[in-house]
Amino acid sequence: MDENVKRAWWQAPWGYKESIAVVGGLSAVGLMLQLTIGNFDFGLLQYPVGLVAILLVTGLTGIMIWRHRSPFFLWFSGLPLSVSVIGGVLFFATIMGLVPQHADGHEHAHSPLGFDTVTRSWPFVLLYMLLVVNLSMVTARRLLNFNWRDYAFYLNHFGLLLLLVAAGIGAADLRRYVMHVQEDATEWRVFSDSGDMLELPVAIHLKDFYMEEYIPKLAIVDKSTGESYPAGNPKMWQIDTVKTAGAIADWQIEVLDYIHEAVRASDSTYRQVPMPGSCPAVRVRVTNAATGFDRTGWICGGNFAQLYMTMELDGQLSMVMTRPEPKLYRSDVVVYTQSEKAIPASIEVNKPLKVDNWYIYQYSYDSDLGKASATSSFELVYDPWLTWVYVGLWMFIAGSVLLIWEGNKKSKLKKNDHLG
Amino acid sequence: MITWDNFIYFAAPTVALWALAIGMLYRKNIPAGTAKPGMRYQPESAGLRPVYGSVVLALAGIILFATFILLMWMSLDRPPMRTMGETRLWYTFFLSAIGLVMYLKWRHHWILSFSLVVASVFILINITRPEIHSKDLMPALQSIWFVPHVIAYILSYAFMSAATIAAILLLYRKDYTDRSLVALTDNVIYIGFGLLMVGLLIGAVWAKEAWGHYWSWDPKETWAFITAAGYLMYIHIRLREHKIRTFTLWLVIFSFVLLMITWKGVNYLPAAQGSVHVYGN
Ligand code: HEM
Repeated sequence: MDENVKRAWWQAPWGYKESIAVVGGLSAVGLMLQLTIGNFDFGLLQYPVGLVAILLVTGLTGIMIWRHRSPFFLWFSGLPLSVSVIGGVLFFATIMGLVPQHADGHEHAHSPLGFDTVTRSWPFVLLYMLLVVNLSMVTARRLLNFNWRDYAFYLNHFGLLLLLVAAGIGAADLRRYVMHVQEDATEWRVFSDSGDMLELPVAIHLKDFYMEEYIPKLAIVDKSTGESYPAGNPKMWQIDTVKTAGAIADWQIEVLDYIHEAVRASDSTYRQVPMPGSCPAVRVRVTNAATGFDRTGWICGGNFAQLYMTMELDGQLSMVMTRPEPKLYRSDVVVYTQSEKAIPASIEVNKPLKVDNWYIYQYSYDSDLGKASATSSFELVYDPWLTWVYVGLWMFIAGSVLLIWEGNKKSKLKKNDHLG
Repeated sequence: MITWDNFIYFAAPTVALWALAIGMLYRKNIPAGTAKPGMRYQPESAGLRPVYGSVVLALAGIILFATFILLMWMSLDRPPMRTMGETRLWYTFFLSAIGLVMYLKWRHHWILSFSLVVASVFILINITRPEIHSKDLMPALQSIWFVPHVIAYILSYAFMSAATIAAILLLYRKDYTDRSLVALTDNVIYIGFGLLMVGLLIGAVWAKEAWGHYWSWDPKETWAFITAAGYLMYIHIRLREHKIRTFTLWLVIFSFVLLMITWKGVNYLPAAQGSVHVYGN
């Protein structure tokens, strides 16, 4: 154990002191760069420079393998440096977690040290690179003394390495756009972050936008202030067609009739009409034992096509229906590619469509019109490194599962401590 | 149809069973001969036999509580994981179940009593502040990744709490020679960290499907990353450390604070305004 041996600073073998100094020094260099030239420009890493970076890391690792007994590389591929770099990354990530961050569009940090754009700030990027090089060497060193029993180590470290590299370089090649498409129309144009119109190699034809809503809730509002009741601790009641009795504070509610797709008739009652302009309506009996109030009537939240209907409880309070929340929405589309493919598909939240290196996501719709929306928005994501991200991700997941499994054996392993 | 109105009929007997289990644990505490007067803990747990009466009582409480979760699941038609109140049900369940399993393995009485007390606290919070609004699951949450993601995280929280208590015990006693307690800390952090990573990575897979990118440095993601880095440091420091040091034990506590920030604290940070992970306001 080198902790027991008294060494002078920077005398081999290097340990924690030197590692912490190197990480601190690199952070200081990063901060200087940040102060003088501003954010790191990820555009620099765009293809093919990203590949060159990978070759560099591989080359350095190769040199390490060749000179693997040299004190320098022993240190570079050793635990003290690993722990120190992870600590350094932890430090800057904590700043990121505390200071509100600016989105990708803002290329210029407002904080001279880059604390509001940490992922694009020099110290973070430099430490990230050091982490990648170190991790690559750690993995390679273990491969030098290959042992099948280290499978969890390989999966964790190599999986994470792939993930860090593909995600880091992928960030430079990643493209994300939002495309708004009208029903029965075909669209291929999007706007970039800087507001320029771009034409994409994929086009989307929207055949139909479809949406289902949850059953809404009832609430009581104060008519003069518009506040929910009881003030300070507003209560709502989820309309329930099975358990039909409920209450909000001392107002008892009983559901007599619920129509999910209702349209108001001329006599102020509601009928079931499944059409885009319909909205939920409920007939309830509301009573209040304290005041003797007892009334039956319709309540409806209304939408762009229907008036809302409330129930007056007293001079002050009214019972109202909340807007229904979306349960599911999807777009039936045909996607056209430059290779002249026409792909019919149904795109839904959590169910994106993959075409070539593009992923197409259901993004949003016209929320004023809700289920009657005649437009649908899609997010198109281009990420050529994604395959490698997934390979790394699943290796890492497998490694983590093994870690859970091996947790039990850890105590036995510690006894003969071949790690030290 | 089971609803929250029925909760008390399951919760009260569960807490009662657990209270009895803890009582029995300390009634016949340390086997004669091994205990010195005034000594509260066994330096080595090996050789201790579990108190079977406590085990049976604790298990009965766990089964009763699990029944409630199962019935809620059936009547809601979705896993009860959306609201804070529902999440606490799982926390209670896993904490007590893991506590029991670890007690059977490591035999430290405090593991069982601690996990049952904390699990009961979560039950009490659910009785006094149920936070049961909002039955509806927004579309982004309707995913096959949802259940494994949340369960892995909750399990990890439970393991990490146990590791934290062990670290506090070691620090408090200023005696790091209890090999079984140190080994327990290492072991439990390995398991907890594996679960933490599974939860985080499944979250990334899910984020790709739901929001278009696997990692966006959203505040919750950032804090999950910081937490992972904390435990990662612990694991790697321990690889070469023959006798655990005070610094390393503090790292366990520090990492647990990070974990708590990730879980609950994030919502209150200025950096989290607009986070996609803050639901239900
Ligand atoms: C962030 C990047 C990481 C670095 C720089 C790093 C570095 C290291 C180093 C230097 C060792 C000692 C290797 C040796 O003795 O030859 C090691 C071992 C180990 N690391 Fe990492 N590690 C990283 C991430 C991880 C992750 C994410 C995990 C787990 C999920 C992990 C789990 C382990 C384990 C289990 C060992 C012990 C290997 C064994 O017992 O066979 N490491 N790591």
